[in-house]
Formats: sequence, structure tokens, C-alpha cells
Amino acid sequence: MSKQVSVQVNGKLHQASEEQTVLQHLNERGVEVPQVCYHEALGPIKTCDACIVEVDGELVRSCDTKVKKGSRIDTVQQDVKDAQVIAMDRILHNHELYCTVCDYNNGNCEVHNAVKDMKIEHQTIPFEPKPEPKDNSHPYYRYDPDQCILCGRCVEACQDVQVTETLRIDWERDRPRVIWDNDVAINESSCVSCGHCSTVCPCNAMMEKGMEGKAGYMTGMDQKTLRPMIELTKNVETGYGSILAISDMEASMRDAKIKKTKTVCTYCGVGCSFDVWTQGRDILKVEPQEEAPANGISTCVKGKFGWDYVNSEERVTKPLIREGSRFREGTWEEAYKLIAENLRSIEKEHGNDALAFISSSKTTNEESYLMQKLARSIFKTNNVDNCSRYCQTPATKGLFRTVGYGGDSGSITDIQQADLVLVIGSNTAESHPVLATRVKSSQKLHGQKLIVSDLRRHEMAERADLFLHPRSGSDLVWLSAVSKYILDHNMEDKAFIDKHVNGIDEFRETLETYTLEYAEKYTGLSREELIRTAEMIAEAETVCSLWAMGVTQHLGGSDTSTAISNLMLITGNYMKPGAGTYPLRGHNNVQGASDFGSMPDKFPGYESVEDSVIRRKYEEGWGTSLPEKAGWNNHEMVEAVHDGRLKAMYLKGEDMGIVDSNINYVHEAFEKLDFFVVQDVFLSKTAEFADVVLPASPSLEKEGTFTNTERRVQRLYQVLEPLGDSKPDWKIIMELANELGADWNYSHPSEIMAESASLAPLFAGVSYDRLEGYNSLQWPVAEDGTDTPLLFKEEFPFPDGKARLFPVDWSVPLDFGEEYDLHINNGRLLEHFHEGNMTYKAEGITSKTPGAFLEVSPELAEERGIEDGSFVKLTSPYGQVKVSCIVTDRVQGKELYLPMNDSGSSAVNQLTSSYADKDTDTPAYKELSAKMDVLKPKGESPLPRTNHRYGNPQPQIGVNVEAKWQRKDYVFPGDVVRRKGAKPNG
Amino acid sequence: MARPIRDIEPAPLSAETQRQKDLEEVEQALADNKEAVLGAIDLMNNLHKNGITRIANGLVSEGDKVLEIIVQEISKDENTNALRNMLLMVGVLGTIDMRKIEPLLLKLNNGIERVAEDPDPDEKTGYFDLAKKLKDPQINRSLTILMRFLEGMGQETKDQERN
Repeated sequence: MSKQVSVQVNGKLHQASEEQTVLQHLNERGVEVPQVCYHEALGPIKTCDACIVEVDGELVRSCDTKVKKGSRIDTVQQDVKDAQVIAMDRILHNHELYCTVCDYNNGNCEVHNAVKDMKIEHQTIPFEPKPEPKDNSHPYYRYDPDQCILCGRCVEACQDVQVTETLRIDWERDRPRVIWDNDVAINESSCVSCGHCSTVCPCNAMMEKGMEGKAGYMTGMDQKTLRPMIELTKNVETGYGSILAISDMEASMRDAKIKKTKTVCTYCGVGCSFDVWTQGRDILKVEPQEEAPANGISTCVKGKFGWDYVNSEERVTKPLIREGSRFREGTWEEAYKLIAENLRSIEKEHGNDALAFISSSKTTNEESYLMQKLARSIFKTNNVDNCSRYCQTPATKGLFRTVGYGGDSGSITDIQQADLVLVIGSNTAESHPVLATRVKSSQKLHGQKLIVSDLRRHEMAERADLFLHPRSGSDLVWLSAVSKYILDHNMEDKAFIDKHVNGIDEFRETLETYTLEYAEKYTGLSREELIRTAEMIAEAETVCSLWAMGVTQHLGGSDTSTAISNLMLITGNYMKPGAGTYPLRGHNNVQGASDFGSMPDKFPGYESVEDSVIRRKYEEGWGTSLPEKAGWNNHEMVEAVHDGRLKAMYLKGEDMGIVDSNINYVHEAFEKLDFFVVQDVFLSKTAEFADVVLPASPSLEKEGTFTNTERRVQRLYQVLEPLGDSKPDWKIIMELANELGADWNYSHPSEIMAESASLAPLFAGVSYDRLEGYNSLQWPVAEDGTDTPLLFKEEFPFPDGKARLFPVDWSVPLDFGEEYDLHINNGRLLEHFHEGNMTYKAEGITSKTPGAFLEVSPELAEERGIEDGSFVKLTSPYGQVKVSCIVTDRVQGKELYLPMNDSGSSAVNQLTSSYADKDTDTPAYKELSAKMDVLKPKGESPLPRTNHRYGNPQPQIGVNVEAKWQRKDYVFPGDVVRRKGAKPNG
Repeated sequence: MARPIRDIEPAPLSAETQRQKDLEEVEQALADNKEAVLGAIDLMNNLHKNGITRIANGLVSEGDKVLEIIVQEISKDENTNALRNMLLMVGVLGTIDMRKIEPLLLKLNNGIERVAEDPDPDEKTGYFDLAKKLKDPQINRSLTILMRFLEGMGQETKDQERN
């Protein structure tokens, strides 16, 4: 805890924390001090000088002065006021006040509010335009140098929060301004469109284009009227007071036409939450809030700008019924009737297990709950699964084996504060962008160490203190060798093992094989790299291990996940802040889809369907008998269709026909189904095979909860009305269940959550009241609402409270034979999500990244005569793809990378096999080899020059305010006031 | 065998059904807000009789042009000045303290009344009369008030100016 000391503020005695700055203390105690550049999430930037106060006789920036015992702080004397006014004058020299016709006049403009609070009526230095025009080049935000007050918030956010390092202020030029890379247009820079800059801008300089001309009542007027209007407002002014009064009035009127609704992002598993500003169905902007528990002010391009799909013309808005070679738009009544009849008759003829249900990580916890309730209680089958089968089930398995819970050990803040972060098989900066920013920033500013193990030299690898490049599928070998080395050299955490871990002796024995020599031979890593890894892990106080599909999508995916957890156990990296295992969940609700029971062997909260006591509880709760035997998972379902045991399927929100492996085989299975219902927002590839397509509403059109990778349950509120006749999934499932004779009466998702909380102890205390607004709960949640940010505190959830070291062996990766000589790695791109049903609808994103492309190493390109734009065919034993190439040193030798973000001829799953993780059936997507034919050696590059990958970042710490202070025309306002004669502005 | 298909046959008469649905929605809204709707119709009638609807229509439909003209017109120096003066006057009015000024106004009224009795008196006032009148408590009080007013008026006001 920080020490409390006594200080005097304007003659009154205060208790203040020594950790704080003077400004933080004054803000906390409600003592008014003007501030423009200061932002709680960014810390002191020190550019605006508006927060000057007197401390112990000196005029100082209060944001940059720590509280000291006995400090005398004065915020009211004339010198203080004079210095503050000089600071504001300089700001207004750079910023024209035309608030009433400004799109940023929404009550939260810091410049407006500071002028008002300081009761400034006039400025001594008149506004002077900067010589450069607006930069409108980027599709989603624009920069107006004329309005820019040079506070540097955007630069801080870009350099030190997002750590893309694109923005700087050029303090050298006559009139400084924000520049991108080496002063290029925004759209030609390394900008990844994360939106941080426009989020933190205190005025209208950096603004989302969605706001332009739409936010105000008069901001949409013609440019030729607008300019005279601005002039008029300025000429009429009798002082800023009256201008600001009118603009305040207009700002409050805007509340009537702009709706601000909190939602949770529907893309990756980080779980960003933010306000969405809408006018009718128009989305003006996405506005992250400091209080958002997972992301604070952060977003990535998808969460900030990727929402066009919601209003897409291609949305399915009516139930579609297959008739011959086309779909007919029908009514809900006939769709329900048709589905009920067909499912019932198949059930009657072929038995309950001839039906299967697939839930989605795009839908809410409540909807996952209802899907499994429908399968189990209405159709008496446990054939229900969700798409986590395609990604993170092996991680869950590995954690259940070792530590008893299948979830992240802590929160994103733990990852942020770890001494060492170990990233294995995760392209975090593209797959979990906001989470990656926390690692990048801790490494850049706070000395965090980073080890990355990957095939590709992606951004995280590029930044790593140690980059390991093992052979594909050999992570278990080096993890085991490192574990062995640590034990052999007595570097383990003995006290922790004695107290909390079982099975150390057996574990030690099973590691015998994994000598450094063995590891060198099978991973290709050097002895030095292995030893350094072991030492870095053993020496760090706290280590967080992050992993994703590079680990799980292999034959031994569960085993490698287990090996990671074993390593963390022997080094004592559980049960403390800043440590633990973090399987990064891929989708917004991949955690929740499994948590809430859409799994063939588990009820909600991971209670076994084969446990009669548990089953009895649900039988009583639901008032019906339930099936005893575990059902089929996704992978087994496809098999079962092929061999005729599975006849009908009801699938929601999953484009299984693109994202499952070996999709040609999956498509054949779809064709064999007697009856197929697909519930989706679009007519996806999967839906093309359906007999009935039900139009669902996406996250923005409904209420519910999502659970992110931190096990954090968060509420989403309804931003828009469902489009056309579409409905939220929970309503559709309920209405279908009622058509089938159930009597479900949920009028709101909160009632579904209440039911689930009453049955699953893991969520006992979860309620919508406790999740109001930006509140959240991390499971397990006790009945009194106490949640669990740190998953393991005193013990592990096993009968004796101890974790288990679980010995595992290496599964040698698939060998495709010599003919298939190239390894095809696959995964995500930052800008697109999965097959792209959602993100390709965003024109701006697509303009910068039109489609998937094959990354080819410079060596291979040279050998095969390939250049940017060459068109090639890849062939595996399972199918082929055709795709354009990009030559890049992100990949090496014969390892290629094909993003999964395409549903056409370059969809990677035409190549992948049906081999899977031996323990969970998660497809071994990453064990893929192919041969390549060059179809056209020359062609247009698949990546336009406006793609950020061509940019040229310019790293520096923050905004480099020292350069501002060194300018000849800069004098600290405090000095101007105190040393009479100093000129106020050069 | 369910081959993949993408063709969609739109729901028949969907436009008409939609229209029907919209009309029902409107009808419902009318019924729910009967009083307000009838009131609005009365208002519209009156506005129409006075020709206000025609003017308003013109203004709204040619909004951009009208606004442009207005802005241009107001931007002329004299008009800008007028607006500015108005805002200033409003500002000054706001600073007047009625509690203080009321007794003064009452006195002023009395004075005016007295003068109104004979607005153009024949009698003249000489030096002696003036000296004599100073002893009259009513005259003396008036003069004291006037002297103080003159003192106040002479004070520096630069720091309070908003123009």
C-alpha cells in the first residue's frame, strides 16, 4: 500500500498518497485545476501546461509533480491563474472555437470545457491556421492540423499504449503537427487503424469519419455555408462565454438524437467493451471507456471500425426454405413447423442420437445454454458441441489435467505486470491485438521480458528478447527439455512444489528422454537457446504463458498444453499475480460457449453428463428426463454423417463449411444430411447446404452476456433493432422449443442467466444486476457475488487441493511424404476475422486488405521464381487452393503462411486433413504440407500499397515533450509570470 | 442430396405486406396518441389559414439556400454589429441588480411626477434660492444621491468589460 502523507492545499490540511502526482490528488479531492493533455489512462504528457499550480513556492506542472510530505499547494493565487491563462492562450492559438458547428461538441470536448471552466473571454494570441490541409486519406479517421492543439495524446497512445509507433509530433517545424511514419499520408503509413488516436483526442483534430457532418444539428451543412457561419460566430462573439453557452445548449440537444449504448465486441476473445454511438441505424463511432475492464481505452481495427456487416444488404432477413434449386423466403411460422416436423420424424425413425446440435462462440452465454437445453431436454441427446472444438479444447484439456480449471489463471492485468511473458504458437498482435498491446507496452516501458516460440517472425517475434523458431509441432519437445533442465539444475520452485503439487517424481522420470541433445535434434533449436530459455523462466519472479492455435491444432495439442502447465507448476508460476497459464481464446465467446454447456459431455459449468447426481439436478430443474451417455463432438458428428448414423443437424452461427478442416469432406457430409437447419446472419457457405436458414440477429441487435478469455462475464445491451424479420438466437431457440411442445417463457435473457446460475455452481452469483453497465464478474462466482480474478489462490480444485504434474509424450507430426515438400502454416490476419463474413463487408478494411495471400520466404521465392503477385496453386492430398503471393521474411525456407481469411478459392481448409488432436478431436490444422505449382509468375500484388505492412514505424518514447521545451519560442508559463519581462510566446 | 445453393426467391407481395404492416403501425400510433394528434391537426389548420405552412415549407425545403442567404446577410458588418450589440446589451442587463436599483427608480418616479405637474415652470432659481433650497431636506437628499452616482460613474470599469 502507498504511504499517506499530509499536505496543505490552499491552506487546508489534506491526506494524500505519496504514489500520486499533485494533479491526481487534486482531481481525487475535487479541487479544480484546468487540464487538457492529461488523461488518466495515458498518464502525464506534460505538453499543455494548463495544470500549473504552485507547490512550495514554485510554479510547476501538477501532472508532473509527485506529492511530498508537507507540500504546500496553491491553486488559486493570481500567478497560478495567470500562468494557466498563458497556457490556454497558446492552445487557442492552435484551435479555432466554432463549437456549435463542430462534430466534437458533445459535452466531452476538453478544450471547450477548459475554456469554460477558466472563464476565459478572450485570447491574447489570436488563432492562426497551420499551413497544411486536412489529411482525409484514411478510410476511417481524419486529421485536421488546424484544430490540433499539439497535446500529444494521440502520439502517447500510438507509441506507448498500442505500440504501433506510427505517430509523432514534428516539433522541429515552424508550426508543429502530428506526422505519420516519416511524414507520409495517413493511409500510406504503418497505421493499423486501431483507433486509439481518435479515441483519446481531446478535440476535433483526430476524428472518426463516421462522426463527420452527422453528430450536430448544424454540422451537416454545406462547406460553403459552414465557413461564413464559423466567421460569423467568431465576429459576433462578445467573449467566449456566450459562444460556449450556446454550444453547450446545442450539445445537450444532441443527446436526443445520438444514442450511446454499451456493448461487448463480437470479434476475438479479449472481450473489449465500449459505447456505440448511433443515429437510427447509422453507427457514428465506437467510443471505448476507461472503465472497460478488459480494454480500457483500447480497441483494434475490427472493434473500432468493423461494424458495417450489421447493415449489410446481404443480411438474411427472412427464414429461407429450400425448394428445389433455390431458397424461398418464408414466414417464421412455417419454418418452425417444418423444422419441428422433420426433426421429430427423423428422431422417431432413427432414434434421438440421429440428431445433432452445434452452438456458436458468436452467440451469447444464454444462447449456448438454451441450445444444449434444447438438445438435452427436448431431443434427449447429448450430441451438442461448439466451435471451441476447432481451437482451444486441447488447452482446456491440458489445464483440467494439471490445475483443475480450464481457463486463464488471471486477468490481462496479470499478463501486463508479469516479469516474463512466454508466447507459444500465438500471433498475438494480430489475433488478440488489444491484449498484445499490454505485452508490447510492458516490454517497451517497464522492462518486461518476452520469449516467443513460433514459425513466423511476426510482430511479437520481432519484438521478443528471445525468439525461438522450432520445427512445426515440436513445442512439446523443447518445453520438456527446458523442464528437465530446470529440474536437473535445481532451479525449480521447491517450496511451491512441496506445498501445492503432486507427482514430481514420476514427472522427473518421464522427462528422461528429453535431453538437450534430443531437443536439439527434433526441434532444431540450439543448446544455447534452450538453456537461455530455461534460465530466463527460472530466474523470473513471475511468468505468464500465453498460447493459441500454434500449440493446440496438432496431433498432440492437448499434450503440449499440458506440458506448458507442467512447466509453470514446477517453476511456481501459479497462485500469484502476474503469473499462470493463459490459453488465448479466439472468439468473443469461445469461453462461454463451453462454459454454458454446449459440449457433448458437460453440463454448464463443466459438470459431467454421466454423473447421475448432476443429471438428477438438471432433470429436476428442467422437469424432464435427460440422456445419460455423452454425445458426439463436432468431429465425430461429421464422421457419423458419413457413416449414416447422424441424419439431421441444427447449427447456429458457425461457418463450419469453411472453418472446419478438410472442408471438401465436410461439404460431402452436409450433402448427405436428411435435414439441415442453419441459423446465421448471412447466407454462409454452410447455410448454402441447409434445408431451412433462420435469420439471426448479431450482437448489436440483442442483449445477453459474453465471457472473454479472462473468464470475465460482461453484458451487452441492444444497440439496434433486429434487421428485417431477423431475431436474436435465444428467441428463435425458445420459439422452436415451444413449437416442439416445451413451455419456455423467457421474456429477457436475464431470466435464462438466472436459471443457469441456479443450476451451475460455477456461476452461482452471476446476475444481470451485478453486471450492470461496465461491471463484470470473473468465474467462479460465489452466490454472494464474490468473483475470482485470480483463479487459484489457496488451492487447486482437486480433492486434496494440490495440482498434478501430468506426464505427456511427444506425438510426431504428420508426414505427408516427400512429394508435399512445403509446410503450410495458417492462421489469422489482424484486419479480417475468420472466413471474413463480417469483416469483408467493411469497405474501408477491404480497401486496405482485399483478401488472403500466401506468404513466401525470399529463399523459396528466389528458387521458384516467385514475386509479389505471382499466382500459385497449392495441392495437398485433400484438395487444392489458388492464391496470390507476397514475398516476405516473416516466413523462412520452405515454411509458407496462408491466412484463413478467405471463403473462396484460397480457403485454406481445402488443404487441411481430418487428422486431429488425439485427446479432443480438435483438427490438426497446423500439420499441413503441400506442393506448389506456379500458375502465373507475374500478377498484381494481393496487398495494396496502403496496407500497413508496407509502413515504416518510427519508435520513440511518448511524444518527446523535451523537444517542445527546447524550441526557441517556448518559455514555461510559470517563468513568464514570475520573471517579469519574459515574453509569453517567443 | 442437398447441393449448395445461393438463389433466393423473395417472399411474394413482400412490398404490399410491408405496406400493410407499416399502415397498421401508423394506425396504432394514431390511436395511442389521439389527443395529441387531434391537437396537432387543429394547430396545422390554424397555421395553414395564416399561410404560415407555406412559408415554413419554403424555408425547410430550400433550407440550405435559405441558410446560406441568412448567413451572408447576417455577416454584413452592420448586422454583425447589431447582433453583437444585442448580445452585449443582454449581458449588461444581466448585471443590473434590481434590489439596489428599485429605491432609486421609485425616487426617480417621484421626481418625474413632480416635474409632470408643471413641466415648463416659469419661476427661475437664483444662487440664493439654490443655497436656500440646499437646506430643504428633500432637495439635499436628491443631491447627495446624484453626487454618489457621479462618483460611481467615474470609476474604472475596464476589467469588467466584455467587448
